[in-house]
Amino acid sequence: MSARPLRVVGHPVPRVDAIEKVTGRARYVTDLTLPGMAHARVLRSPYAHARVRRVDVTRARARAGVFAALAGGDLTWCDPYYGPAYRDRPVLAIDVARYEGEPVAAVAAVDEATAEEALELIDVDYEPLTAVMSLDEALAPGATLVHAGQPPAGHFADLSTLRPRPGTNICHQWSFARGDAAAELAGAPVVVEDAYRFPSVQHVALEPHAVVAAWDETGALTLWASTQNPYSVRVELAKMFDVPLARIRVVVPHLGGGFGSKTYAKLEPLAATLARAAGRPVRLAASIPEAFQTVRRCAARVAVRAGFRRDGTLVAVECESDYDVGAYADIGPRVVQKGTYTATGPYRVPHVKLDARAVYTNTTPGGAFRGFGVPQLAWALESLFDGAADRLGRDPIDLRRQNFLAHGEEFAPGDTPIDGKLEESLGRAAEAIGWTQMPAADRGRGVAAMLKASVAPSVSEAIVRLHADGSVSVLASAVEMGQGTRTVLAQIAAEVLGVPLAQVTVVQPDTAVTPYDQTTSSSRSTAMTGRAVQVAAEDVRDQLLAIAAQSLGVALRELALADGAVVAPSRRLTYAEALALKFGMSGGELIGRGVIAPGRTAAPLGGSTPFWEMAVGAAEVSVDEETGALRVERYVSVADVGRAINPLLLEGQDEGGVVQGLGHTLLEEMLYADGHLLNGTLLVYRVPRADDAPGDLECHFVENADGSGPFGAKGAGEGSLIPVSPAVANALARLTGVRLRELPLTPERVWRALRSRSARA
Amino acid sequence: MLRPFTLHRPETAEEACALLAGLGEDAAVYAGGTELLLLMKLGLLRPRHLVDVKRVRGFGEIGLAPEHGARLRLGAAVTHRAVEQSVLIKARCPLVSSVARHVANVRVRNVGTVGGNLAFADPHSDLATLFLTLDATVELVSPRGRRELPLGEFVRGPWETSRAPDEVLGSVALTPWPADTAAAYVKFGAHERPTLAVATALRLDGLAGAGGGVGGRIVDARVAVGCVGPTPIRVAQAEARLRGAALADLEDVARAASESAAGGVDPADDLYGSADYKREMVAVFVRRALRIAAARARGAEPAARFPYAVVA
Amino acid sequence: MTIHVVVNGRPRDLEVVPHALLLDVLRDALDLKGAKRSCDTQVCGACTVLVDGLAVSACTYLAVEAAGRSVLTVEGLAEGDSLHPLQRAFVETGAVQCGFCTSGMLLTARAMLAENTKPTRDDVLHYLRGSLCRCTGYRKIVDAVLAAAEAAR
Repeated sequence: MSARPLRVVGHPVPRVDAIEKVTGRARYVTDLTLPGMAHARVLRSPYAHARVRRVDVTRARARAGVFAALAGGDLTWCDPYYGPAYRDRPVLAIDVARYEGEPVAAVAAVDEATAEEALELIDVDYEPLTAVMSLDEALAPGATLVHAGQPPAGHFADLSTLRPRPGTNICHQWSFARGDAAAELAGAPVVVEDAYRFPSVQHVALEPHAVVAAWDETGALTLWASTQNPYSVRVELAKMFDVPLARIRVVVPHLGGGFGSKTYAKLEPLAATLARAAGRPVRLAASIPEAFQTVRRCAARVAVRAGFRRDGTLVAVECESDYDVGAYADIGPRVVQKGTYTATGPYRVPHVKLDARAVYTNTTPGGAFRGFGVPQLAWALESLFDGAADRLGRDPIDLRRQNFLAHGEEFAPGDTPIDGKLEESLGRAAEAIGWTQMPAADRGRGVAAMLKASVAPSVSEAIVRLHADGSVSVLASAVEMGQGTRTVLAQIAAEVLGVPLAQVTVVQPDTAVTPYDQTTSSSRSTAMTGRAVQVAAEDVRDQLLAIAAQSLGVALRELALADGAVVAPSRRLTYAEALALKFGMSGGELIGRGVIAPGRTAAPLGGSTPFWEMAVGAAEVSVDEETGALRVERYVSVADVGRAINPLLLEGQDEGGVVQGLGHTLLEEMLYADGHLLNGTLLVYRVPRADDAPGDLECHFVENADGSGPFGAKGAGEGSLIPVSPAVANALARLTGVRLRELPLTPERVWRALRSRSARA
Repeated sequence: MLRPFTLHRPETAEEACALLAGLGEDAAVYAGGTELLLLMKLGLLRPRHLVDVKRVRGFGEIGLAPEHGARLRLGAAVTHRAVEQSVLIKARCPLVSSVARHVANVRVRNVGTVGGNLAFADPHSDLATLFLTLDATVELVSPRGRRELPLGEFVRGPWETSRAPDEVLGSVALTPWPADTAAAYVKFGAHERPTLAVATALRLDGLAGAGGGVGGRIVDARVAVGCVGPTPIRVAQAEARLRGAALADLEDVARAASESAAGGVDPADDLYGSADYKREMVAVFVRRALRIAAARARGAEPAARFPYAVVA
Repeated sequence: MTIHVVVNGRPRDLEVVPHALLLDVLRDALDLKGAKRSCDTQVCGACTVLVDGLAVSACTYLAVEAAGRSVLTVEGLAEGDSLHPLQRAFVETGAVQCGFCTSGMLLTARAMLAENTKPTRDDVLHYLRGSLCRCTGYRKIVDAVLAAAEAAR
């Protein structure tokens, strides 16, 4: 293929849904109304752990305007359990409530006021039980068990071997070893070790979870859901209601943010159950406090040990991590194993021993959140790395560079080799932050790097339709949640087919229409769904070229696509003309198909990552020593993306990732006391505001077209978040000599650490 | 979504009080609604009657109260925005305008009222803290007549005031500081509501003024600390240490004043921080507020800004 | 009761009960879905509309308070097909991602520009203190507001 300059791909075009969003016309689930739609409200457990002895919905059911009132015991006509790893989560609590906020009963009524009143007519007898609210409590010998035993879901290849420890709250264990880390550490001249904690935080997508569910008279189910994976939702519902996949339709309008909170079924099973019981469409919309009671990031504690030779070569890493996955496993087991898989970060380490556990507690279920287990481990390893640099008398950037995996190097047998140049990202970050120049006396600088795998094996399929007038539809199920996937997919199709971007429409995800896509998460949509779209568009291209070759009597190699036409040396055939030739009339269409399904491999997690996400962050901070308040004055993020399909959108994503990372770094922490979540509302849970963003924020991209995605693209969007906390903590350490191991770095925590330092001095 | 209620719109304070007396616990006073409607949405309050005081004669006015010797009178239904923009307030006591500018966020300021803020007695109130340094008194109207109460006696505890159920807070009166007073208000906190706030005013005598040295003596001082304990407080001990001190000695006196302030507050361990930390931060910000006031006394506007702090 | 409100320049007679919230009346009775319910506690700004030019949290504002006033929602920002300079700036600068905060940001910025045609970055940060965004990191939003202010001058 000739290296023709790209017309659309690689250009900072405005997103295709910008105008509908700035004019208020973009539709989200809670903007939808169906005729006869009922409104749902959920009664939630006030206890972290309680036997649910009796739920009496009789009075609620009898109230005028109530169409359905359900408790767990009513769900005899479906399989009431769901979950992507374990099917451990009931639609409504059955016999026991396992966390504060767990749905215990629900009503669907003519309006929200009636539904609210009906909730007050429901009587529940709870018998409070001892709750385990932390890793310490859950892992203590003789601890109360959150679950007695849980059946695996069996959906996903990489979760086909879950390893719980029966009789404990450990719902999954995952280990990885290479070489003999213990022996190497025993003999290494420089060994550093430390333990770190990462808090529970919530995604706080501005749009909380929302669903509208409707059964039709034939027993088919349609949902409009604020979900990142319509196909996962579909398979859960199919199992629950024993309905064929083809008769369950999940439609996804715009999402008001996701960040992982909307992966896998959340409220969809409950909405569908209520709709069935009510005999009419049901709208179930969560509030922000209810989002805090639906999903969060898995808190973790990580102990890590690293051994170095005197020349700075990293020889061994041991890491033990425990993740708090809350009361239901959700995708926690995968978070734990996949995060742990890259616990050694972007470094070459011959001897490795990694042990991770996913632990149940009686708190909001922990699930996917941007970074997927890696922020917790990078917080530990990248903090420790600076400690090692100190001990070795080495510059932290230099020590990292020395130990980075090289382009093309193996990460683990059977997995994709490293497909990027880590040292290039590091160099760009160092230069942008001015690493070799002294910072001002009141400033300190720190750096951190990350490496993350994307979920594998995974499947993305796409269809591209070329219509009789030359316009194009792209059918793919990657969900638009703000990251710009609709725009990127349109750019890819427009580029391949040589049409203006405005001629391409990306259809909203709809399992009745847009083909299978495993998930919109894991930074995979551009690389995987985008590749499927590219292949599908190429399929259409090939069909066009064949038509033109035949009709013009020209060899294929003399043809190209440009400006909505097939161009031969002396002739031009518009797509409309080409279709008219093929079909003998002005109708018909060309359909192209793309299937990206690399399948299982011998890689440790069962599939080879389609790309490695790698990034570096550099922070420059100041601290008000009297109060401990940290200010991130400057931040540089560098992500190795292969090809930025849309640099404007990518920059926006990474700016957002950095600021979201500042959230858990400086401000955010879900706090529990006596079994209750104390700060599950925005009145007290503090997310970054506009004035929290660094005054100077730069996002750079390394583009060597070395990815397996379209036009050499890889994935992005998580790499900008992951290095933030260790980069900031490293900067603080270099400025003040103080090392913090627990997030967030609140003013009080920093202040205490500074005082201890002064006390010791 | 709110439960149904009847909305009453009295036009006089007497009417408002009569309604409250008649409706008893079923009624709530309503002005901006920024606190009330929130509590109603959460189901914590379920009044079946709202008595809207925004149309009550006099409640929306900002003026001088000549019968009280040129005190500033803010009607209960005056919004934070109106306070921020008031020409009269900027002329007589500009710090009040500056502080109002930083209450909550712009939407709350556009709708929320001074009376609502004081009557709700949220322990994190900026206005209550500042107003203590202005000898604020609140006017309470009831079927029994009117009474005036010092703010410190009105605010009794978190969300607790001396207002009887049939009383309406009609206005708050402030005694602006004399012309040769320099003042500062600083609040600190990484949360939505401030962790602490310090209001200080220094009345000076023998000021060197612009271009001069550091002459000047503190003739009178006000120090209030709020948002950190159950109620805002004046720190009499701190004020005593400041009175009579030379501006040139401010750093030493500020240290002593800050220790008094830290000793005088009664914070609890909570989401905003531990009691120890808060006490220490009170000391830090009393010193900082005093330094800012002192700089202003010399005609300078200090550039120092502190993370998570707002300086007014 | 019937209230007369001018909504996006159009006089409307609205049948409302005293306890109706402005956000629900706009979204449900008038089908103006641009203002969103998010935190429901006046912290996030996703529900922002302008009443007589002033930004209010429609989620915590009685509809009856809009009687005799004019209300501006995001749907009223553009003039026909012509985007408001703020809307255009948001589009061009890349200040929109998921879009849920967008209408609140736009209206808050519009209220600010009506008061202050030459805002500094600090002015913008002050005004947007009550407008949360979880996607963009705010940088492009602030840039867009400053660009629109510049363009309008």
